[in-house]
Amino acid sequence: MDEREAIAIDFAQRAVESALESGADEAEATCSISRKFRSEARDRTITKLEQSVGRSLSLRVFVQQAKAASVCTDFSDEAVRAVARAAVDGARYVAPDSFAGLPETTRPDQVDLGIAAEDVKNFPSEQKVNDALELERDVRACDARIVNSGGSNIGDSDSVIAVVSSRGFAGAYRSTSAWRSTEPIAADGEHLRPGSHASAARSYGALESLDFIARKAVRRAVEMFGARRPPTSRVPVIFERDVAASVLSDLFVSVNASSVVIGDSFLSGKIGEHIGSDLVTIVDDGRLYAGLGSSPFDSEGVPTRRTTVFERGVFRSHLADTYYARKLGMKSTANAAGGGIGPNNFFLEPGRGSLEEIIASTPRGLLVLGTLGFANEHVSGNYSRGAHGFWIENGELAYPVDEFTIAGNLATMLGSIDAVAADLLFDSSIVSPSFRVAEMTVSGG
Amino acid sequence: MELDTAILSVILNEALRGGEYADAFVERRSTCSARLQEGRIHEVGTSLITGVGIRVISGEQTGFAYSDDLSVEALREAARVAALIARDPVARTRSVEIPSFAELAPSVYREDDGTEPFADVKAQVDLLARADIAARAADPRVREVNASLVHEVQEVLIATSDGRLLRDRRPLVRFAVQCVAHGSERGTGYEGDGGRAGLSFYSGEIPERIAQEAARIACVNSEASDAPAGELPVIIGPGGGGVLLHEAVGHGLEGDFNRQGTSAYSGRIGQLVASELVTIHDDGNLVGERGSVAIDDEGNPGRSNVLIENGVLQGYLFDQLNAGLMSRSSTGSGRRQSFRHVPQARMSNTYMVSGASAPEDIIASVERGIYARSFLGGQVEISKGDFVFMVAEGYMIENGKLTRPIRGATLIGNGPKAMTRIVAVGNDSKLAGGSGTCGKRGQQVPVGVGMPTVKISGMTVGGSSLG
Repeated sequence: MDEREAIAIDFAQRAVESALESGADEAEATCSISRKFRSEARDRTITKLEQSVGRSLSLRVFVQQAKAASVCTDFSDEAVRAVARAAVDGARYVAPDSFAGLPETTRPDQVDLGIAAEDVKNFPSEQKVNDALELERDVRACDARIVNSGGSNIGDSDSVIAVVSSRGFAGAYRSTSAWRSTEPIAADGEHLRPGSHASAARSYGALESLDFIARKAVRRAVEMFGARRPPTSRVPVIFERDVAASVLSDLFVSVNASSVVIGDSFLSGKIGEHIGSDLVTIVDDGRLYAGLGSSPFDSEGVPTRRTTVFERGVFRSHLADTYYARKLGMKSTANAAGGGIGPNNFFLEPGRGSLEEIIASTPRGLLVLGTLGFANEHVSGNYSRGAHGFWIENGELAYPVDEFTIAGNLATMLGSIDAVAADLLFDSSIVSPSFRVAEMTVSGG
Repeated sequence: MELDTAILSVILNEALRGGEYADAFVERRSTCSARLQEGRIHEVGTSLITGVGIRVISGEQTGFAYSDDLSVEALREAARVAALIARDPVARTRSVEIPSFAELAPSVYREDDGTEPFADVKAQVDLLARADIAARAADPRVREVNASLVHEVQEVLIATSDGRLLRDRRPLVRFAVQCVAHGSERGTGYEGDGGRAGLSFYSGEIPERIAQEAARIACVNSEASDAPAGELPVIIGPGGGGVLLHEAVGHGLEGDFNRQGTSAYSGRIGQLVASELVTIHDDGNLVGERGSVAIDDEGNPGRSNVLIENGVLQGYLFDQLNAGLMSRSSTGSGRRQSFRHVPQARMSNTYMVSGASAPEDIIASVERGIYARSFLGGQVEISKGDFVFMVAEGYMIENGKLTRPIRGATLIGNGPKAMTRIVAVGNDSKLAGGSGTCGKRGQQVPVGVGMPTVKISGMTVGGSSLG
């Protein structure tokens, strides 16, 4: 066990003991200790260098089935006792709730998930700084039209998380992540055209190469030259992989069991219904090897698992922590995250073929490469976004388009997914292969 | 939250090995949040976050480290790491003396009798219970009420290597109510209010007013039909419509983007960038408003800045780093989410000044278009200037009158282009209720927006109806 894991377990243990001494019936503490590094370059200069160790202690207490929470960064005995008292005091104002309480006890299992990489610990700082500078050189060398940039970043984190509960759970694990990104800007007459690309993984070794990242970001900038607005119309819309993932993020909100309980999900009461097309199988998997959303247990200490959310279009399961699972009469799917519900590795199962093949099989339509905006009306599934990408004619990219919107409804969109590519890549905790929706409204010129 | 001035001197001297300027931002943030759902108090949460962020500037380079361990050894180590931005840290002969505290700028926060969060949780949860009752009583179609009330006090102490020592105590409250109504369909309504104040902000019937407004919007949306697609005249309602300025103009005027030349507004000071009807201010001194700061997070006084006057671009919003590199002064716009983040150039309260038109005349001038009354937020792409904002409550305008409600839709435009298409400005400018939060490069800060009724001759409306 990492020395920091033992320290984190010890702090969490002390917080639980303090909570019980202060009058809690049950308590659970999460302690995280995290080292973070970031270097940023712009043109020929290192513009930012950041390195810190951060820590945090979160405590949940239950007093006669009333729940309260408390967070602090001061790990002194005095501060931990104060946090415990604050949480127990807070519970006095909360309505007792028969569904509230800790999960049934389990023991942390020993499983190698590939989420802690040694190369993050050992990667020399000098190399990270030079890599950021090299990305800046690469984007400018790629294409003479790149005249500026928003900067290139290299970053990583190395964290331990410990969870201890008064029901006897005590576990800790270490995880790492590394990322590289760049944001070149091209001059297109009077317009500036930004491009960007990022790669993230559990280890430096698994990241895309500097050259690949630079080329992709530059392509994203220069391919939009001369973009115009597409005609207002109803056409098939292809979501490129990264944008497809953002649609899954929107969907996650309604899959989340807490949204159902507060009456704000279009999937409420729809278990067993055929909502998606046969191509739609969506999974939440906490145990994917080296996945950025993988961990041995969630923030309540519940062992992670694989949950099928949609199976060939049929809605099978919400994702829940212990409380909301009890409310909905299901079992926790180990999605507890920092007091709420979050994804493990949440993804659409890949199909066959490439994005290019989907484009080639689309006589007239739209390829979306990026969206602007973020709000949905979750209760109706209403979906509307600003977008940019390419207009498709006769199965070919005809011309770049921007300053338009796409609109539809998440339920209808899932139901009319008629092509899914094989290009799934686990570079985030919510990911998706590219897919095509048979018809959406495009609002442009 | 007291750090000995001797310790601050040690930290700054250590940090100065890496550059010509250093500062330490000491923060203590105490928060109490309460949440109501299903008609009862669901959770009470408290948090106490303390730490120090240490920054070193050398030319356009920034070294940064933070520590939530306030021991002298941990802080010295953070200062040493921040100084690594210089390839060859040197022992400078200059040594910083920390003076006594500077006189505080006049407070721009509402009197809150110095109450700490968590001092009166009973009052806090009672306010939520009143909102629940009011929302359910407002209309039988209201089925779900979700409400939260957050009270925080952020105390900061800023010590700089140019010999400034300042402190500020910043209260903040935010009340948010979301209702779900079951009408012809299901609809959601949201309303929030708050500011730089204590819980006494919610005097009188304010919780009821917030709740009734959320209920009203939910009921409107539960009877709404699809929004149209295509380019239409758009009228932005007063108050929350300020999100349009925040996205279409405000971000593009932030000093970092303009120093780097990456904004659609770069190099355009003195030029006509909007209709001559448009005057926009960013004012950090409005008493009690959510975006106000007595001093910003670099220790510079918040102030009122004219961004655009009669359509002509007057100036950018500057933090210290970007101001220095462009030979300008800070505009009091250096803000950070917490001690764990570096300061950036940010907006405070951004609003458009009233024009001459009567709001009803503006609406009457539209044959077919959209009236957008409240908003969920927006987003902008800085370089080309394309922006969106999301309508939370909207109506069709037909023959000069508001007719049927339409489902929330995203509207998209290009900032510089949309600002020249403003063809009428109402005489009814007001600030939106204080609940806005602005995100930039991963950092969230509270902001305010304001707007009169405004007519834009054409914007792309992201509805799903082609009719």
